Amino acid sequence: MTELVTLTIDDRQVTVPKGTLVVDAAAKVGIEIPIFCSHPKLDPVACCRMCLVEISGPRGMTLQTACSVPVAQDMVVRTNTPQVKEVQEANLAFILLNHPLDCPICDKGGECPLQDQTMRFGPGLSQLVEPKRTKNKNYLISDTIVLDQERCILCWRCIRYLEEWEDKPQLALFQRGGETLIDIQDGKPVDAKTSGNIIDICPVGALTNRVARFAFRPWEIERTPSICTQCSMGCNLRIDTRTHKLRRVIGRENMQVNDQWICDKGRFANAWVNHEERLTTPLVRKNGELQPASWSEALGLVADRLQAIKQRHGADAIGAIGSAKLSNESNYLLQRFMRQLIGTNNIDHRDGGDVAALPTGVPALADVMKPQYGPDPKHDVILLVGIDPSEEMPVLDLHLKRAVRRGKATLVIVHPRRIELTRYNGPFLQANPGTEVALLNGLLRALTEAKEDTSSDAHQLVANIKLQEAEKVCGVAAEEINKAAATLAGAQNPLILYGPMVARGEAGVQVRQALINLALYLGKPENLAYVGLEANSQGCRDVGLLPDRLPGHAALDDPTANELLSRLWGCTLPTRAGKTYKQMLDAAGGDIKALYIMGANPASERPTWAEQLDKLEFLVVQELFLTETAAKADVVLPGVSWAEQDGTFTNLERRVQRAPKALGNPHSKAAPDWMILDHLATYFDAQWGHANAQAVTAEITQAAPIYNGLTWEALGDQGLQWNPAEHSYVRPDMRYAPAVQPELSESESGLRLVTGTVLYDGGDLFRLTKQMKNMAFGAEVRLNPADGEKLGVTEGESVTVRNTYGALELTVKFDATVKLGVAWIPESLPGAPVGALLNGSAIVNVLIEK
Amino acid sequence: MALRDLLKGAAEIGKAMGVTLKALMEKPVTVEYPRDPVPLYPRFRGKHELRRYENGLERCIGCMLCEAACPTGAIYVEAAENDPEHPISPGERYAKVYEINLLRCIFCGDCEEACPTEAIVLGHDFAMASYDRRDFILTKEQLLNPGDPYVVIRPE
Repeated sequence: MTELVTLTIDDRQVTVPKGTLVVDAAAKVGIEIPIFCSHPKLDPVACCRMCLVEISGPRGMTLQTACSVPVAQDMVVRTNTPQVKEVQEANLAFILLNHPLDCPICDKGGECPLQDQTMRFGPGLSQLVEPKRTKNKNYLISDTIVLDQERCILCWRCIRYLEEWEDKPQLALFQRGGETLIDIQDGKPVDAKTSGNIIDICPVGALTNRVARFAFRPWEIERTPSICTQCSMGCNLRIDTRTHKLRRVIGRENMQVNDQWICDKGRFANAWVNHEERLTTPLVRKNGELQPASWSEALGLVADRLQAIKQRHGADAIGAIGSAKLSNESNYLLQRFMRQLIGTNNIDHRDGGDVAALPTGVPALADVMKPQYGPDPKHDVILLVGIDPSEEMPVLDLHLKRAVRRGKATLVIVHPRRIELTRYNGPFLQANPGTEVALLNGLLRALTEAKEDTSSDAHQLVANIKLQEAEKVCGVAAEEINKAAATLAGAQNPLILYGPMVARGEAGVQVRQALINLALYLGKPENLAYVGLEANSQGCRDVGLLPDRLPGHAALDDPTANELLSRLWGCTLPTRAGKTYKQMLDAAGGDIKALYIMGANPASERPTWAEQLDKLEFLVVQELFLTETAAKADVVLPGVSWAEQDGTFTNLERRVQRAPKALGNPHSKAAPDWMILDHLATYFDAQWGHANAQAVTAEITQAAPIYNGLTWEALGDQGLQWNPAEHSYVRPDMRYAPAVQPELSESESGLRLVTGTVLYDGGDLFRLTKQMKNMAFGAEVRLNPADGEKLGVTEGESVTVRNTYGALELTVKFDATVKLGVAWIPESLPGAPVGALLNGSAIVNVLIEK
Repeated sequence: MALRDLLKGAAEIGKAMGVTLKALMEKPVTVEYPRDPVPLYPRFRGKHELRRYENGLERCIGCMLCEAACPTGAIYVEAAENDPEHPISPGERYAKVYEINLLRCIFCGDCEEACPTEAIVLGHDFAMASYDRRDFILTKEQLLNPGDPYVVIRPE
């Protein structure tokens, strides 16, 4: 129990925990003390002097800064004396001396703390007769943030955010006195991945959003509390709209998920929502050309063709691919459509059935967060296997940095690249790609030895593993493995996260087993979590968008689930396990005659799949844009984005959150994804009768028992987590079993290929924001400089990267974070699908040719 | 009794006729509009105009304060960033779209009042009838080029 302190503010008694700052104690009883530099999520600096109040001390009542003085027992604070008033007026007059007062052209105007406080506490008249100081206006500190040095009042909030949260001190104060200004260092632009948050916390219009520049006025916009759908974090944000257009996105506080921070991709990369390339009408292929059609024509054709193909080739000749970028409602109805009306389990999404996942997600994000005023994170050691939060989930990256720097947590990282988080000196195991099982077995062996526990079951599993061998296979020094083992051995409450990078294919099953062994040995099997990368990776699994799982993670032959669903849907369910994403696409044109693809673009992923899709008898694509896949379709159904329809998304910690409709294009015929499916069902003589998305949400709560009670109304603005402890059948059966390192072909020459997600890729959702185009990855291969020298290539040179499966034309870029003997080619680069080199296997070698 | 009423009535008629005869000699107050022009007070509030500076730059900076002040929601502004090479207005911001819906406007002059650069002003043109509803949406082009600019404004 924290100690409480009672003090008097303006003759009112306040009791607050010890350590609270006077300004926060005053706010608690509704007394406003004006502030600029103070921020509830940053350390106090007391540099703006706006919060001076009279505080009792050994020398009587003196003026002190309320934002930096902690409360004390029997302290007396006065905020309304003539002296305080005089100081406030003088301070505001001083701050305004050189402030340009160009409010009419300033994007902050209308929601500006300086405006508000000048009106409330200011003197009303300026005494300045001299001309104002001039500095840089419209000065870009990055491609997305505009700095106006004239408007800056030097509160240091941006500097402190980048230091305290991002740990990237990229802004600093320069010059002295009246000439002091904020600037970037050595001309290097701010590149922190959550840099946009400094716009939200700037108390004046010095930092403004370049993407939303002059596109909104605070008094003109409609504000919709929503969530971000760019990654699996599910950060809370607010969508500001006007005249049916998305104008701006800003962060929204949710202390369970994102504190109040969001990343730059979520904040700035949203031009695609209102883009003119969006599909606005159904398209039907006539005489080889996609031509606009009415909804009834398009849906009628889809129904006729699917029924004909079902009759001719059987239900299992039809497959559906959903998308983890879309809501629970859309994906739930897609799998219901396939299971009920087509009668097949050929339903999957990217990184769905092909990945050795776990159904339960991260225990709680709040347990890795270290808020400004709050306890240390509950997890003291965090093991990341094949995840790069800096590129994949920047806000998780922010939480982890904070947990390490302020919360005494340690990171143990297993990744083939020297990712950004390795700079915190936690053990870093840079295993050769594909050797994770050997490494994790070695780690378990070292761990049992560190605990001097050589008689346990766990030790028996790895008794014949030699660290020297692991060292040889993985390329990780035994010393580093021992260091990691010692860290894990000392952990009170370790958390283990692994991502799709290490979970794909056969090898992924072994990695999962190796991790289960490790987690069991550490005594925290519930703290082992698979983390998908898309906004609804968790939700897709929860609502049954898998070839071998029904809604609620029930097995296909689960009698309770079968009874429940057949009653709810009024049909008998198909019992044969379906094909996974990869199997369906590989079999396209063979066993699979027709595909219904919703929100996925496999043609851009792998050239062979693009060819296979051409061989299909019938292809339906439900999309926002005419993607490579949609261009091959027989019928294209235009969907709408997450901002234009109601939907719920489940983030990586099983938190189901609402994304309400924020806008809609009145000129477009595009429809919400769930509605398209609901209408399509009527062509199969099924009346689902969902009046709105909320009705689908309500149906999910019945179909998936884990979602019991999670209706639209119950979710509220902050979302709710489903609890795996209440649904024991969801918990995977975790037990010790040997994990076998798959054989790696030794003889192959060349470099080992590493791929993976990057934040600023070439995808549609990113490239359409033109302001950010210079930030995106180009079509490039990244090599260790030493490898580059050995191969005789120079930076910027164009090379052919080749192996037996395919070849890509890429530009060489040197990158010291890439391991020796490895070539790094991120996924979804513009025009260079790394899938061309993979052929579905995770581990391949490539040759670099000039 | 009856005689007295008769005489009184005749006197009243005579008095009234006197007023008529007097007015007959006076100059008439009726204006033969549209043949003759209507006299307008200097601060009459008619059709809107957007003004420019003497160097040709538009005064409007797209701040949307007129839109905020408008009690009937008759104004629609869309701002954009000036190209520093070819600025449309001084500073960083200009109005890309500026529209006034005359059917909604009540000619209260609040927009004029709110404008920090005296860009939007109410002129003296009040003859705005049209056969097409679309003609009542004034575009920025029309507002910048009023037919007969006649506006009383404060000195620079």
